[in-house]
Amino acid sequence: MIITRIEVRGFRNIHHGQFEPQGQLNVLYGANAQGKTNWLEVIYLLATAGSFRTSRLSEALTYGGREAILRALVECHGLRKELAIQLTSRSKRLFVNGKREPSIRYLGQLAAFICSLEQMNVVRGEPEYRRQFLDQGAASIDPKYAKVLETYNRILKQKNRLLRQVADHPHPNTLIDQIETWNQQLIEYGTIVHRVRSQYVEKLQEVLEGNLFGKEEIQIRYASSLEAHGELDDYAALLAERLRVRLNAEIAVGYSLVGPHRDDLEIRFDGRELRRFASAGQQRSALLMLDLARISVYNRELDAYPIFLIDDIDAELDRERIDILLGYLQGKAQTFMTTSKPDVAAAFADRAALFRIEDGQVRTEASR
Amino acid sequence: MLDYAEPISRLIDELRRLPGIGHKSAQRIAFHLLRIPPEEARRLTSAIEEVKEKITLCSICNNFTDRDPCRFCTNPARDRSVICVVEEPTNLVTIEKTREYRGLYHVLHGALSPIRGIGPEELKIKNLLERLRDGHVKEIILATNPNTEGEATASYLARLLKPLGVTVTRIAMGLPVGSDLEFADEVTMHKALANRRQI
Repeated sequence: MIITRIEVRGFRNIHHGQFEPQGQLNVLYGANAQGKTNWLEVIYLLATAGSFRTSRLSEALTYGGREAILRALVECHGLRKELAIQLTSRSKRLFVNGKREPSIRYLGQLAAFICSLEQMNVVRGEPEYRRQFLDQGAASIDPKYAKVLETYNRILKQKNRLLRQVADHPHPNTLIDQIETWNQQLIEYGTIVHRVRSQYVEKLQEVLEGNLFGKEEIQIRYASSLEAHGELDDYAALLAERLRVRLNAEIAVGYSLVGPHRDDLEIRFDGRELRRFASAGQQRSALLMLDLARISVYNRELDAYPIFLIDDIDAELDRERIDILLGYLQGKAQTFMTTSKPDVAAAFADRAALFRIEDGQVRTEASR
Repeated sequence: MLDYAEPISRLIDELRRLPGIGHKSAQRIAFHLLRIPPEEARRLTSAIEEVKEKITLCSICNNFTDRDPCRFCTNPARDRSVICVVEEPTNLVTIEKTREYRGLYHVLHGALSPIRGIGPEELKIKNLLERLRDGHVKEIILATNPNTEGEATASYLARLLKPLGVTVTRIAMGLPVGSDLEFADEVTMHKALANRRQI
Protein backbone atom coordinates (compact mmCIF):
# COMPACT_ATOMS: atom_id res chain seq x y z
CA MET A 1 0.00 0.00 0.00
CA ILE A 2 1.15 3.52 -0.67
CA ILE A 3 -0.01 6.99 0.20
CA THR A 4 -0.18 9.19 -2.89
CA ARG A 5 -1.36 12.40 -1.29
CA ILE A 6 -1.67 13.85 2.21
CA GLU A 7 -3.50 17.00 3.22
CA VAL A 8 -3.70 18.42 6.73
CA ARG A 9 -5.51 21.34 8.37
CA GLY A 10 -5.23 22.57 11.94
CA PHE A 11 -2.95 19.84 13.28
CA ARG A 12 -0.13 20.99 15.64
CA ASN A 13 1.92 23.54 13.67
CA ILE A 14 0.39 22.56 10.33
CA HIS A 15 -2.23 25.24 9.64
CA HIS A 16 -2.73 23.92 6.18
CA GLY A 17 -0.31 21.80 4.19
CA GLN A 18 -0.20 19.03 1.65
CA PHE A 19 2.21 16.97 -0.35
CA GLU A 20 2.39 14.09 -2.78
CA PRO A 21 4.87 11.47 -1.64
CA GLN A 22 6.45 9.02 -4.02
CA GLY A 23 5.88 5.29 -3.77
CA GLN A 24 9.26 4.37 -2.29
CA LEU A 25 11.46 6.47 -0.09
CA ASN A 26 10.50 9.94 1.11
CA VAL A 27 12.84 12.10 3.16
CA LEU A 28 11.41 14.97 5.19
CA TYR A 29 14.12 17.34 6.31
CA GLY A 30 14.34 20.70 7.97
CA ALA A 31 15.62 22.44 11.08
CA ASN A 32 14.40 21.31 14.49
CA ALA A 33 10.89 22.27 15.63
CA GLN A 34 9.67 22.86 12.07
CA GLY A 35 7.16 19.99 12.23
CA LYS A 36 8.82 17.03 10.55
CA THR A 37 7.61 14.56 13.15
CA ASN A 38 4.13 16.10 12.99
CA TRP A 39 3.82 14.78 9.45
CA LEU A 40 4.84 11.28 10.57
CA GLU A 41 2.33 11.55 13.38
CA VAL A 42 -0.36 12.44 10.80
CA ILE A 43 0.40 9.28 8.81
CA TYR A 44 0.46 7.16 11.94
CA LEU A 45 -2.83 8.65 13.09
CA LEU A 46 -4.49 8.03 9.75
CA ALA A 47 -3.36 4.40 9.97
CA THR A 48 -4.18 3.60 13.59
CA ALA A 49 -6.62 6.37 14.63
CA GLY A 50 -4.23 6.97 17.54
CA SER A 51 -0.99 8.86 18.08
CA PHE A 52 2.44 7.58 19.02
CA ARG A 53 3.02 10.77 20.98
CA THR A 54 -0.07 11.41 23.05
CA SER A 55 -3.18 9.65 24.24
CA ARG A 56 -5.01 12.98 24.43
CA LEU A 57 -5.58 13.90 20.82
CA SER A 58 -7.14 17.24 21.75
CA GLU A 59 -3.60 18.39 22.54
CA ALA A 60 -2.71 17.90 18.90
CA LEU A 61 -5.04 20.64 17.62
CA THR A 62 -3.31 23.77 16.38
CA TYR A 63 -3.18 26.17 19.31
CA GLY A 64 -6.52 27.99 19.49
CA GLY A 65 -8.01 25.87 16.70
CA ARG A 66 -11.36 24.08 16.91
CA GLU A 67 -10.77 21.16 14.62
CA ALA A 68 -8.14 19.33 12.64
CA ILE A 69 -8.70 17.50 9.36
CA LEU A 70 -6.26 14.83 8.19
CA ARG A 71 -6.75 13.33 4.76
CA ALA A 72 -4.83 10.78 2.72
CA LEU A 73 -5.24 9.08 -0.62
CA VAL A 74 -4.22 5.46 -0.28
CA GLU A 75 -3.62 2.92 -3.00
CA CYS A 76 -3.67 -0.76 -2.18
CA HIS A 77 -4.17 -3.76 -4.47
CA GLY A 78 -5.08 -1.38 -7.28
CA LEU A 79 -7.86 0.26 -5.24
CA ARG A 80 -7.83 3.96 -4.35
CA LYS A 81 -9.34 5.10 -1.11
CA GLU A 82 -9.59 8.41 0.62
CA LEU A 83 -9.18 8.21 4.39
CA ALA A 84 -9.93 11.17 6.61
CA ILE A 85 -9.99 11.94 10.31
CA GLN A 86 -11.71 14.94 11.83
CA LEU A 87 -10.54 15.84 15.31
CA THR A 88 -12.11 18.31 17.68
CA SER A 89 -11.34 18.85 21.35
CA ARG A 90 -14.06 16.34 22.19
CA SER A 91 -14.41 14.00 19.26
CA LYS A 92 -12.65 11.96 16.62
CA ARG A 93 -14.55 11.08 13.45
CA LEU A 94 -13.31 8.61 10.88
CA PHE A 95 -14.22 8.70 7.19
CA VAL A 96 -13.62 6.35 4.29
CA ASN A 97 -14.33 7.86 0.87
CA GLY A 98 -16.26 10.66 2.52
CA LYS A 99 -18.53 8.36 4.50
CA ARG A 100 -18.30 8.29 8.27
CA GLU A 101 -17.40 4.83 9.58
CA PRO A 102 -17.07 3.24 13.03
CA SER A 103 -13.46 2.46 13.97
CA ILE A 104 -13.91 -1.26 13.36
CA ARG A 105 -14.65 -0.56 9.69
CA TYR A 106 -12.12 2.25 9.34
CA LEU A 107 -9.08 0.46 10.75
CA GLY A 108 -7.22 -1.92 8.50
CA GLN A 109 -7.33 0.30 5.41
CA LEU A 110 -3.88 1.71 6.10
CA ALA A 111 -1.10 0.25 8.22
CA ALA A 112 2.00 2.05 9.48
CA PHE A 113 4.82 1.18 11.84
CA ILE A 114 7.16 3.72 13.33
CA CYS A 115 10.80 3.42 14.27
CA SER A 116 11.87 6.25 16.55
CA LEU A 117 14.10 7.07 19.45
CA GLU A 118 11.38 6.21 21.96
CA GLN A 119 11.10 2.83 20.31
CA MET A 120 14.55 1.97 21.68
CA ASN A 121 12.56 1.19 24.82
CA VAL A 122 11.44 -2.00 23.09
CA VAL A 123 14.98 -3.34 23.34
CA ARG A 124 16.10 -1.67 26.55
CA GLY A 125 13.06 -0.50 28.49
CA GLU A 126 10.31 -1.95 30.61
CA PRO A 127 8.13 -4.88 29.44
CA GLU A 128 5.20 -2.55 28.65
CA TYR A 129 7.05 -1.27 25.56
CA ARG A 130 7.49 -4.80 24.28
CA ARG A 131 3.84 -5.65 24.93
CA GLN A 132 2.93 -2.52 23.02
CA PHE A 133 5.22 -3.56 20.15
CA LEU A 134 3.36 -6.87 19.92
CA ASP A 135 -0.09 -5.34 20.34
CA GLN A 136 0.51 -2.82 17.54
CA GLY A 137 1.69 -5.61 15.25
CA ALA A 138 -1.20 -7.93 16.09
CA ALA A 139 -3.76 -5.10 15.69
CA SER A 140 -2.29 -4.21 12.30
CA ILE A 141 -3.21 -7.62 10.93
CA ASP A 142 -6.48 -7.87 12.86
CA PRO A 143 -7.95 -4.48 13.85
CA LYS A 144 -10.60 -6.23 15.94
CA TYR A 145 -7.84 -7.14 18.39
CA ALA A 146 -7.51 -3.44 19.25
CA LYS A 147 -11.04 -3.53 20.61
CA VAL A 148 -10.42 -6.68 22.64
CA LEU A 149 -7.35 -5.04 24.15
CA GLU A 150 -9.21 -1.83 24.90
CA THR A 151 -11.90 -3.79 26.71
CA TYR A 152 -9.30 -5.78 28.65
CA ASN A 153 -7.67 -2.54 29.81
CA ARG A 154 -11.01 -1.09 30.84
CA ILE A 155 -11.84 -4.18 32.91
CA LEU A 156 -8.43 -3.90 34.53
CA LYS A 157 -8.99 -0.25 35.38
CA GLN A 158 -12.36 -1.03 36.98
CA LYS A 159 -10.89 -3.90 38.97
CA ASN A 160 -7.90 -1.83 40.12
CA ARG A 161 -10.22 0.84 41.45
CA LEU A 162 -11.98 -1.76 43.60
CA LEU A 163 -8.68 -3.27 44.77
CA ARG A 164 -7.54 0.16 45.96
CA GLN A 165 -10.71 0.62 48.01
CA VAL A 166 -10.75 -2.72 49.86
CA ALA A 167 -8.23 -1.78 52.56
CA ASP A 168 -10.25 1.17 53.93
CA HIS A 169 -13.73 -0.20 53.29
CA PRO A 170 -16.06 -0.94 56.24
CA HIS A 171 -17.49 -4.02 54.45
CA PRO A 172 -14.66 -5.39 52.33
CA ASN A 173 -16.64 -8.50 51.40
CA THR A 174 -19.09 -6.53 49.26
CA LEU A 175 -16.11 -5.27 47.25
CA ILE A 176 -14.60 -8.74 46.95
CA ASP A 177 -17.92 -9.99 45.48
CA GLN A 178 -17.62 -7.28 42.86
CA ILE A 179 -13.97 -8.03 42.14
CA GLU A 180 -14.98 -11.55 41.21
CA THR A 181 -17.47 -10.32 38.62
CA TRP A 182 -14.68 -8.29 36.96
CA ASN A 183 -12.32 -11.27 37.19
CA GLN A 184 -14.78 -13.33 35.13
CA GLN A 185 -14.48 -10.84 32.28
CA LEU A 186 -10.74 -10.48 32.83
CA ILE A 187 -10.39 -14.21 32.17
CA GLU A 188 -12.54 -14.04 29.05
CA TYR A 189 -10.61 -11.18 27.45
CA GLY A 190 -7.20 -12.00 28.98
CA THR A 191 -7.29 -15.44 27.38
CA ILE A 192 -7.70 -13.88 23.95
CA VAL A 193 -4.93 -11.34 24.58
CA HIS A 194 -2.58 -14.12 25.63
CA ARG A 195 -3.39 -16.27 22.62
CA VAL A 196 -3.19 -13.47 20.04
CA ARG A 197 0.18 -12.29 21.38
CA SER A 198 1.68 -15.80 21.59
CA GLN A 199 0.61 -16.55 18.04
CA TYR A 200 1.94 -13.22 16.83
CA VAL A 201 5.33 -13.91 18.41
CA GLU A 202 5.47 -17.27 16.62
CA LYS A 203 4.80 -15.50 13.33
CA LEU A 204 7.52 -12.94 14.06
CA GLN A 205 10.02 -15.67 14.90
CA GLU A 206 9.28 -17.42 11.61
CA VAL A 207 10.21 -14.38 9.54
CA LEU A 208 12.99 -12.92 11.68
CA GLU A 209 15.71 -12.34 9.16
CA GLY A 210 18.89 -13.82 10.50
CA ASN A 211 21.97 -12.52 8.73
CA LEU A 212 20.40 -9.13 7.96
CA PHE A 213 23.36 -7.45 9.63
CA GLY A 214 26.10 -10.01 9.23
CA LYS A 215 25.81 -13.03 11.44
CA GLU A 216 23.85 -11.43 14.27
CA GLU A 217 20.80 -13.47 15.21
CA ILE A 218 17.93 -12.92 17.58
CA GLN A 219 15.44 -15.31 19.09
CA ILE A 220 12.19 -14.23 20.65
CA ARG A 221 9.67 -15.89 22.90
CA TYR A 222 6.43 -14.74 24.50
CA ALA A 223 7.08 -14.95 28.22
CA SER A 224 3.77 -15.35 30.01
CA SER A 225 3.76 -14.24 33.63
CA LEU A 226 1.86 -17.44 34.40
CA GLU A 227 4.28 -19.91 32.84
CA ALA A 228 5.97 -20.83 36.11
CA HIS A 229 2.63 -21.70 37.66
CA GLY A 230 1.12 -24.37 35.43
CA GLU A 231 0.02 -25.53 32.01
CA LEU A 232 -0.50 -22.67 29.55
CA ASP A 233 -2.51 -24.94 27.24
CA ASP A 234 -5.60 -24.32 29.31
CA TYR A 235 -4.83 -20.66 29.86
CA ALA A 236 -8.33 -19.67 31.03
CA ALA A 237 -8.29 -22.30 33.80
CA LEU A 238 -4.77 -21.33 34.88
CA LEU A 239 -5.64 -17.64 34.90
CA ALA A 240 -8.77 -18.33 36.98
CA GLU A 241 -6.72 -20.39 39.44
CA ARG A 242 -4.01 -17.73 39.76
CA LEU A 243 -6.58 -14.98 40.24
CA ARG A 244 -8.11 -16.98 43.06
CA VAL A 245 -4.78 -17.75 44.73
CA ARG A 246 -3.45 -14.19 44.41
CA LEU A 247 -6.60 -12.31 45.40
CA ASN A 248 -5.30 -11.44 48.86
CA ALA A 249 -1.97 -10.32 47.46
CA GLU A 250 -3.78 -8.12 44.96
CA ILE A 251 -5.82 -6.59 47.75
CA ALA A 252 -2.68 -6.00 49.79
CA VAL A 253 -0.91 -4.06 47.02
CA GLY A 254 -4.09 -2.46 45.67
CA TYR A 255 -3.70 -3.37 42.01
CA SER A 256 -3.92 -6.34 39.63
CA LEU A 257 -1.00 -8.76 39.78
CA VAL A 258 -2.33 -11.52 37.55
CA GLY A 259 -3.00 -11.41 33.82
CA PRO A 260 -1.38 -10.81 30.43
CA HIS A 261 -0.69 -7.17 31.38
CA ARG A 262 2.26 -8.63 33.33
CA ASP A 263 3.71 -10.57 30.40
CA ASP A 264 6.86 -9.82 28.44
CA LEU A 265 8.53 -10.51 25.14
CA GLU A 266 11.85 -12.22 25.74
CA ILE A 267 14.49 -11.19 23.20
CA ARG A 268 17.80 -13.05 23.00
CA PHE A 269 20.74 -11.88 20.96
CA ASP A 270 23.16 -14.65 20.08
CA GLY A 271 21.68 -16.61 22.97
CA ARG A 272 21.94 -13.90 25.60
CA GLU A 273 19.26 -11.62 27.02
CA LEU A 274 19.28 -8.55 24.81
CA ARG A 275 18.27 -5.97 27.37
CA ARG A 276 21.01 -6.84 29.84
CA PHE A 277 23.89 -8.34 27.93
CA ALA A 278 23.91 -6.84 24.45
CA SER A 279 25.82 -3.73 23.41
CA ALA A 280 23.98 -0.58 22.35
CA GLY A 281 24.80 -1.37 18.71
CA GLN A 282 23.44 -4.88 19.03
CA GLN A 283 20.27 -3.49 20.60
CA ARG A 284 19.81 -1.15 17.65
CA SER A 285 20.30 -4.05 15.23
CA ALA A 286 17.77 -6.13 17.10
CA LEU A 287 15.20 -3.33 16.99
CA LEU A 288 15.55 -2.96 13.23
CA MET A 289 15.29 -6.73 12.78
CA LEU A 290 12.13 -6.75 14.86
CA ASP A 291 10.71 -3.84 12.86
CA LEU A 292 11.44 -5.70 9.67
CA ALA A 293 9.84 -8.85 11.08
CA ARG A 294 6.66 -6.90 11.84
CA ILE A 295 6.60 -5.66 8.27
CA SER A 296 7.19 -9.17 6.90
CA VAL A 297 4.44 -10.71 9.02
CA TYR A 298 2.05 -8.04 7.79
CA ASN A 299 3.06 -8.86 4.23
CA ARG A 300 2.63 -12.59 4.73
CA GLU A 301 -0.80 -12.23 6.29
CA LEU A 302 -2.28 -9.52 4.09
CA ASP A 303 -0.22 -9.61 0.91
CA ALA A 304 0.62 -5.90 1.10
CA TYR A 305 3.34 -3.80 2.68
CA PRO A 306 2.61 -1.36 5.50
CA ILE A 307 4.02 2.17 5.52
CA PHE A 308 7.29 2.45 7.41
CA LEU A 309 8.12 5.62 9.33
CA ILE A 310 11.60 6.41 10.65
CA ASP A 311 11.79 9.45 12.90
CA ASP A 312 15.06 11.33 13.22
CA ILE A 313 17.58 9.01 11.58
CA ASP A 314 20.54 11.13 12.66
CA ALA A 315 19.85 10.61 16.34
CA GLU A 316 20.72 7.36 17.96
CA LEU A 317 19.65 5.13 15.14
CA ASP A 318 22.57 3.71 13.26
CA ARG A 319 22.95 5.07 9.71
CA GLU A 320 24.80 2.07 8.35
CA ARG A 321 22.22 -0.39 9.58
CA ILE A 322 19.37 1.82 8.37
CA ASP A 323 20.93 1.81 4.92
CA ILE A 324 20.90 -1.99 4.91
CA LEU A 325 17.28 -1.98 6.07
CA LEU A 326 16.27 0.57 3.42
CA GLY A 327 17.98 -1.54 0.78
CA TYR A 328 15.95 -4.47 1.99
CA LEU A 329 12.69 -2.52 1.91
CA GLN A 330 13.36 -1.01 -1.50
CA GLY A 331 10.57 -1.85 -3.89
CA LYS A 332 8.49 -3.10 -0.96
CA ALA A 333 7.35 -0.71 1.77
CA GLN A 334 6.74 2.98 1.18
CA THR A 335 8.99 4.71 3.68
CA PHE A 336 9.00 8.16 5.25
CA MET A 337 11.94 9.36 7.26
CA THR A 338 12.91 12.61 8.92
CA THR A 339 16.28 14.24 9.45
CA SER A 340 17.42 17.66 10.59
CA LYS A 341 20.63 17.44 8.56
CA PRO A 342 20.54 18.65 4.94
CA ASP A 343 23.62 16.59 4.07
CA VAL A 344 21.93 13.40 5.29
CA ALA A 345 18.93 14.25 3.13
CA ALA A 346 21.22 15.01 0.18
CA ALA A 347 22.82 11.58 0.51
CA PHE A 348 19.45 10.05 -0.36
CA ALA A 349 18.75 12.39 -3.27
CA ASP A 350 19.41 9.73 -5.91
CA ARG A 351 16.74 7.34 -4.64
CA ALA A 352 14.32 9.40 -2.56
CA ALA A 353 11.86 12.24 -2.93
CA LEU A 354 13.03 15.07 -0.71
CA PHE A 355 10.65 17.39 1.08
CA ARG A 356 11.82 20.38 3.06
CA ILE A 357 9.64 21.13 6.08
CA GLU A 358 9.47 24.72 7.18
CA ASP A 359 7.01 26.02 9.75
CA GLY A 360 4.77 22.99 9.19
CA GLN A 361 4.68 23.52 5.43
CA VAL A 362 6.06 21.03 2.91
CA ARG A 363 8.27 22.33 0.13
CA THR A 364 9.03 19.88 -2.64
CA GLU A 365 12.60 19.76 -3.88
CA ALA A 366 13.65 18.60 -7.28
CA SER A 367 14.58 14.92 -6.98
CA ARG A 368 16.64 12.52 -9.02
CA MET B 1 -19.64 36.22 28.52
CA LEU B 2 -19.71 40.04 28.58
CA ASP B 3 -20.91 40.08 24.97
CA TYR B 4 -24.53 39.49 26.01
CA ALA B 5 -26.99 41.09 28.38
CA GLU B 6 -26.80 39.32 31.72
CA PRO B 7 -30.13 37.35 31.42
CA ILE B 8 -29.06 35.99 28.03
CA SER B 9 -25.71 34.79 29.24
CA ARG B 10 -27.41 33.19 32.22
CA LEU B 11 -29.75 31.30 29.88
CA ILE B 12 -26.80 30.16 27.74
CA ASP B 13 -25.03 29.05 30.88
CA GLU B 14 -28.01 26.96 32.02
CA LEU B 15 -28.49 25.40 28.59
CA ARG B 16 -24.85 24.41 28.48
CA ARG B 17 -25.33 22.20 31.51
CA LEU B 18 -27.64 19.95 29.49
CA PRO B 19 -26.17 16.73 28.09
CA GLY B 20 -24.99 16.96 24.49
CA ILE B 21 -25.23 20.77 24.41
CA GLY B 22 -22.01 22.66 23.78
CA HIS B 23 -21.45 26.38 23.80
CA LYS B 24 -22.48 26.84 20.17
CA SER B 25 -25.74 24.91 20.48
CA ALA B 26 -26.54 26.68 23.75
CA GLN B 27 -26.14 30.02 22.01
CA ARG B 28 -28.32 28.95 19.09
CA ILE B 29 -31.08 27.65 21.38
CA ALA B 30 -30.95 30.79 23.53
CA PHE B 31 -31.40 33.07 20.51
CA HIS B 32 -34.18 30.86 19.20
CA LEU B 33 -35.96 31.20 22.54
CA LEU B 34 -35.55 34.99 22.40
CA ARG B 35 -37.37 35.09 19.07
CA ILE B 36 -40.33 32.78 19.80
CA PRO B 37 -43.71 34.13 21.06
CA PRO B 38 -44.05 34.31 24.88
CA GLU B 39 -46.79 31.59 24.91
CA GLU B 40 -44.44 29.13 23.28
CA ALA B 41 -41.72 29.87 25.82
CA ARG B 42 -44.23 29.49 28.64
CA ARG B 43 -45.30 26.09 27.29
CA LEU B 44 -41.68 24.99 27.51
CA THR B 45 -41.13 26.28 31.04
CA SER B 46 -44.40 24.82 32.27
CA ALA B 47 -43.56 21.43 30.66
CA ILE B 48 -40.28 21.44 32.57
CA GLU B 49 -42.00 22.49 35.79
CA GLU B 50 -44.67 19.85 35.36
CA VAL B 51 -42.28 16.92 35.00
CA LYS B 52 -40.32 18.15 38.00
CA GLU B 53 -43.54 18.37 40.06
CA LYS B 54 -45.43 15.30 38.90
CA ILE B 55 -42.88 12.71 37.90
CA THR B 56 -41.40 10.52 40.59
CA LEU B 57 -39.84 7.10 40.74
CA CYS B 58 -42.21 4.17 41.07
CA SER B 59 -41.70 2.78 44.57
CA ILE B 60 -41.79 -0.77 43.20
CA CYS B 61 -39.83 -0.75 39.92
CA ASN B 62 -38.10 2.71 40.00
CA ASN B 63 -39.39 3.68 36.57
CA PHE B 64 -40.32 7.35 36.04
CA THR B 65 -44.04 7.67 36.66
CA ASP B 66 -46.79 10.22 37.31
CA ARG B 67 -48.57 7.88 39.72
CA ASP B 68 -47.17 5.48 42.23
CA PRO B 69 -47.12 2.51 41.67
CA CYS B 70 -46.64 2.95 37.92
CA ARG B 71 -48.90 1.69 35.13
CA PHE B 72 -46.72 -1.38 34.53
CA CYS B 73 -46.70 -2.45 38.16
CA THR B 74 -50.49 -1.98 38.52
CA ASN B 75 -51.53 -3.45 35.15
CA PRO B 76 -53.40 -6.73 35.92
CA ALA B 77 -52.72 -8.01 32.38
CA ARG B 78 -48.95 -8.17 32.95
CA ASP B 79 -47.25 -11.40 33.90
CA ARG B 80 -46.21 -10.97 37.54
CA SER B 81 -43.92 -14.00 37.55
CA VAL B 82 -41.22 -12.34 35.40
CA ILE B 83 -39.13 -9.22 36.06
CA CYS B 84 -36.90 -7.72 33.42
CA VAL B 85 -34.00 -5.73 34.94
CA VAL B 86 -32.68 -2.77 32.92
CA GLU B 87 -30.14 -0.01 33.56
CA GLU B 88 -32.14 3.05 32.49
CA PRO B 89 -35.80 4.00 31.94
CA THR B 90 -34.99 4.49 28.23
CA ASN B 91 -34.00 0.80 28.02
CA LEU B 92 -37.44 -0.12 29.34
CA VAL B 93 -39.05 1.92 26.57
CA THR B 94 -36.96 0.10 23.96
CA ILE B 95 -38.04 -3.32 25.23
CA GLU B 96 -41.66 -2.22 25.58
CA LYS B 97 -41.72 -1.07 21.94
CA THR B 98 -41.21 -4.65 20.77
CA ARG B 99 -44.60 -5.63 22.32
CA GLU B 100 -43.03 -9.06 22.90
CA TYR B 101 -42.55 -8.78 26.60
CA ARG B 102 -45.55 -8.89 28.95
CA GLY B 103 -43.84 -9.17 32.32
CA LEU B 104 -42.79 -6.53 34.85
CA TYR B 105 -39.71 -4.31 34.93
CA HIS B 106 -37.06 -3.14 37.35
CA VAL B 107 -34.89 -0.11 36.66
CA LEU B 108 -31.46 -0.02 38.34
CA HIS B 109 -30.62 3.58 37.33
CA GLY B 110 -27.07 2.74 36.31
CA ALA B 111 -24.53 -0.04 36.14
CA LEU B 112 -21.57 -1.00 38.31
CA SER B 113 -18.55 1.14 37.50
CA PRO B 114 -15.89 1.48 40.18
CA ILE B 115 -14.04 4.17 38.21
CA ARG B 116 -17.17 6.31 38.26
CA GLY B 117 -17.77 5.52 41.92
CA ILE B 118 -20.87 3.43 41.24
CA GLY B 119 -21.17 0.38 43.48
CA PRO B 120 -24.18 -1.79 44.37
CA GLU B 121 -25.36 0.78 46.97
CA GLU B 122 -25.74 3.38 44.23
CA LEU B 123 -28.02 1.10 42.22
CA LYS B 124 -31.66 0.28 43.00
CA ILE B 125 -30.97 -3.28 44.05
CA LYS B 126 -32.49 -3.32 47.53
CA ASN B 127 -36.11 -3.02 46.38
CA LEU B 128 -35.51 -5.68 43.72
CA LEU B 129 -34.71 -8.13 46.51
CA GLU B 130 -37.86 -7.05 48.34
CA ARG B 131 -39.94 -7.87 45.29
CA LEU B 132 -38.79 -11.50 45.45
CA ARG B 133 -39.86 -11.99 49.03
CA ASP B 134 -43.47 -13.13 48.42
CA GLY B 135 -42.38 -15.92 46.04
CA HIS B 136 -44.56 -14.90 43.05
CA VAL B 137 -41.58 -14.09 40.88
CA LYS B 138 -40.19 -17.13 39.05
CA GLU B 139 -37.77 -15.55 36.60
CA ILE B 140 -35.48 -12.53 36.48
CA ILE B 141 -34.28 -11.46 33.03
CA LEU B 142 -31.07 -9.46 33.21
CA ALA B 143 -31.20 -6.95 30.35
CA THR B 144 -28.30 -4.69 31.32
CA ASN B 145 -26.15 -3.39 28.47
CA PRO B 146 -23.80 -5.82 26.69
CA ASN B 147 -20.67 -3.85 27.66
CA THR B 148 -18.20 -4.51 30.49
CA GLU B 149 -20.18 -2.49 33.05
CA GLY B 150 -23.48 -4.11 32.10
CA GLU B 151 -21.87 -7.56 32.18
CA ALA B 152 -20.36 -6.93 35.61
CA THR B 153 -23.76 -5.76 36.88
CA ALA B 154 -25.53 -8.81 35.43
CA SER B 155 -23.03 -11.23 36.90
CA TYR B 156 -23.12 -9.46 40.27
CA LEU B 157 -26.93 -9.67 40.32
CA ALA B 158 -26.88 -13.30 39.21
CA ARG B 159 -24.68 -14.23 42.17
CA LEU B 160 -26.98 -12.33 44.47
CA LEU B 161 -30.27 -13.69 43.11
CA LYS B 162 -29.60 -17.33 42.33
CA PRO B 163 -29.43 -18.44 45.97
CA LEU B 164 -32.95 -17.03 46.41
CA GLY B 165 -34.36 -19.85 44.29
CA VAL B 166 -35.41 -17.77 41.29
CA THR B 167 -34.47 -18.53 37.67
CA VAL B 168 -31.97 -15.93 36.46
CA THR B 169 -31.55 -15.42 32.71
CA ARG B 170 -29.41 -13.04 30.65
CA ILE B 171 -30.65 -11.61 27.33
CA ALA B 172 -28.92 -13.24 24.36
CA MET B 173 -25.68 -11.62 23.27
CA GLY B 174 -24.02 -11.92 19.93
CA LEU B 175 -24.28 -10.45 16.49
CA PRO B 176 -26.43 -7.39 15.91
CA VAL B 177 -29.07 -7.87 13.21
CA GLY B 178 -28.10 -6.22 9.93
CA SER B 179 -24.37 -6.37 10.62
CA ASP B 180 -21.65 -8.40 8.99
CA LEU B 181 -19.76 -11.38 10.45
CA GLU B 182 -16.53 -9.85 9.17
CA PHE B 183 -16.72 -7.02 11.68
CA ALA B 184 -17.57 -9.10 14.74
CA ASP B 185 -14.79 -9.24 17.32
CA GLU B 186 -13.82 -12.55 18.83
CA VAL B 187 -15.75 -12.21 22.08
CA THR B 188 -18.94 -11.27 20.24
CA MET B 189 -18.54 -14.18 17.84
CA HIS B 190 -17.82 -16.53 20.72
CA LYS B 191 -21.02 -15.44 22.48
CA ALA B 192 -23.02 -15.69 19.29
CA LEU B 193 -21.85 -19.29 18.87
CA ALA B 194 -22.43 -20.19 22.51
CA ASN B 195 -25.96 -18.76 22.32
CA ARG B 196 -26.84 -20.39 19.00
CA ARG B 197 -30.22 -22.05 18.60
CA GLN B 198 -31.86 -24.65 16.44
CA ILE B 199 -33.99 -23.41 13.55
